[in-house]
Amino acid sequence: MVYDEPVFKTLGDTAINVEFGDESSIPINFRILALDFALREEPPKGLVETNPQVRTLGLVFNPLATTRARIVDHVKALIAAQGTVETLPSRRVTIPALYDDPWSRECAEAFGVRNNIEYIAEFNDMTVAQVIETHTGCDYWVTGVGFVPGAFMSYAMDPTKRFGAPLYRTPRTWTHARLLNFGGLTSTIYPIRIPGGGQLFGRTPIEIFDLREISPAFADGPVLARAGDRHRYESISREEYDAIRAEVEAGTYAYRVEEDTFDCAGYEAWLVGTGEPAEKHDPDSTWGPF
Amino acid sequence: MLEVIDGGLRTTVQDMGRRGGQALGIPPSGAQDGFALRIANVLVGNPPGGPLVVRDDPGAAGLEMTLGRLKLRALEDHVLALTGADTGATVDGEAVPCWSSFVLREGQTLACGLAQSGARAYLAVHGGIDVPLYRGSRATHVSGGFGGLEGRPLAKDDRLPVGAPTASVADLAGRRLRPDLVPAYAPPMRVRTVAGPEEHHFTADSVEAFYATAWKLNPKADRTGMRFIGPELSFKPGRPHYLIEDAGADPSNIVIDPGAPVGTVQVPSGVEPIVLCVDSPSIGGYARIAIVITTDMARVGQVRPFEETRFVRISHEDAVVALTAQEALIADPDIII
Repeated sequence: MVYDEPVFKTLGDTAINVEFGDESSIPINFRILALDFALREEPPKGLVETNPQVRTLGLVFNPLATTRARIVDHVKALIAAQGTVETLPSRRVTIPALYDDPWSRECAEAFGVRNNIEYIAEFNDMTVAQVIETHTGCDYWVTGVGFVPGAFMSYAMDPTKRFGAPLYRTPRTWTHARLLNFGGLTSTIYPIRIPGGGQLFGRTPIEIFDLREISPAFADGPVLARAGDRHRYESISREEYDAIRAEVEAGTYAYRVEEDTFDCAGYEAWLVGTGEPAEKHDPDSTWGPF
Repeated sequence: MLEVIDGGLRTTVQDMGRRGGQALGIPPSGAQDGFALRIANVLVGNPPGGPLVVRDDPGAAGLEMTLGRLKLRALEDHVLALTGADTGATVDGEAVPCWSSFVLREGQTLACGLAQSGARAYLAVHGGIDVPLYRGSRATHVSGGFGGLEGRPLAKDDRLPVGAPTASVADLAGRRLRPDLVPAYAPPMRVRTVAGPEEHHFTADSVEAFYATAWKLNPKADRTGMRFIGPELSFKPGRPHYLIEDAGADPSNIVIDPGAPVGTVQVPSGVEPIVLCVDSPSIGGYARIAIVITTDMARVGQVRPFEETRFVRISHEDAVVALTAQEALIADPDIII
């Protein structure tokens, strides 16, 4: 559900979560990213950093320099002044990927499970070819960056193409870097070698976390993804994968990143046309926002 | 310059961590027991920096040892202080006291043993460990491979550059922390928390059990998270059905959400609450029953495997009072005698 008013939740002495709902929704994320921009324009005293995610804007503040109440009042005023989100800055990033790759297979074998892309196909009543066609068939909206350095969460923008698969019951103790994976409906990429429970289905030759920061795509730091990016995946062959990987390692690869603005209001209107409900409801639920 | 003879069980360069990384997935890192590192820095005349994450200044970098065994040789005269867990350290075979500053002369060897109480020891050196700043901090984040010395734990033959001295050895040696302020790492450790954002997802009995239990630390604990062994916690009925698809089938699953930078207590499947620590993920997908207050993350950092911890719920306002009191204490020149 989308809450009538965002709920302010206290996280210890230094953090507040401004929660807009309990579900994953791209339109909620538009409001969160717009609020994050507004806060960056007009930061209240004592605000340390923000962490925009799919349904919540995380705020970190210094309680020695301000109070929780002052931060909440400031953010409430910005929310009250916020109209419909018409547009947002949104880059278009093309991510080449080798689907059904040997490294994802190797991880599956090492942890005694079947090739994950076959499981994803079966779970969604698709063929492996359809998994690839569907995943490359629409843009993915990056709702937030984080988890481990450089990781991000993204969701298919076309609800008719939105699919995924449940996380492993017991996470792997390691995963190769740069593997594409689903955690529920979230599509993401492991930036570095880490444990994880995502269902693996491909590998990109490009870096999404690069401490070398040599490509212009990393001009602002070691993280490629930004909240509000639109990612488009492109299926490549093993030969193309190897060629791109060599360029990435040499530092000569030209990352395909275009600055752009996204028509959020137009998207929401289009979404209504697809029959996608504006929010999810469960009349039997007693959990509520609080 | 200090030369590493033995890196011990795991020793990393740490200060009071990075800020500004939450929206990039870059954790604060920094000292697990910030109080101990900051006092060590005060003892040797270094800037202690502020509390993790909200600090303006990361303070001087020192070394964090897990359980101990670090062995160093001085390549010139240095003033050092050891705080946190007492490792029974010696200089050329002679015992040196904890929570005090002392001189390590050129050619002398400092040898730390294994801590018998507490889990982490801190070493500060006058001038600070002078590795490059990365995104505003010298703290090591091992899995990301950045900060500290080449983004990794210390190993034999490493050389640690030390910043230029600003005071004389004679003025700095022999200072000690007022004895009544030296923490006792005696279990059960009392750790104060503020109610978490999903406390209301747990049954009233489970919330009560969380605060009534003496939780035993699972030995697979590290700087990312510490799991605690105890009763299984359960969730209230009435979960919205759409969360099965949006967040996962387990009632502990929530749609991805930012955590507190440190101290988030999440309970996957209701089993073994995890206190997320200085290297923790910036977001998570499990219900959070509580958040450990900034001040008490220092105590969490000193819990040993299988030792007991009790959580005590306080208000946000009291958590701020605790932080304010701690900051006043660290800034008080009379704590050093």
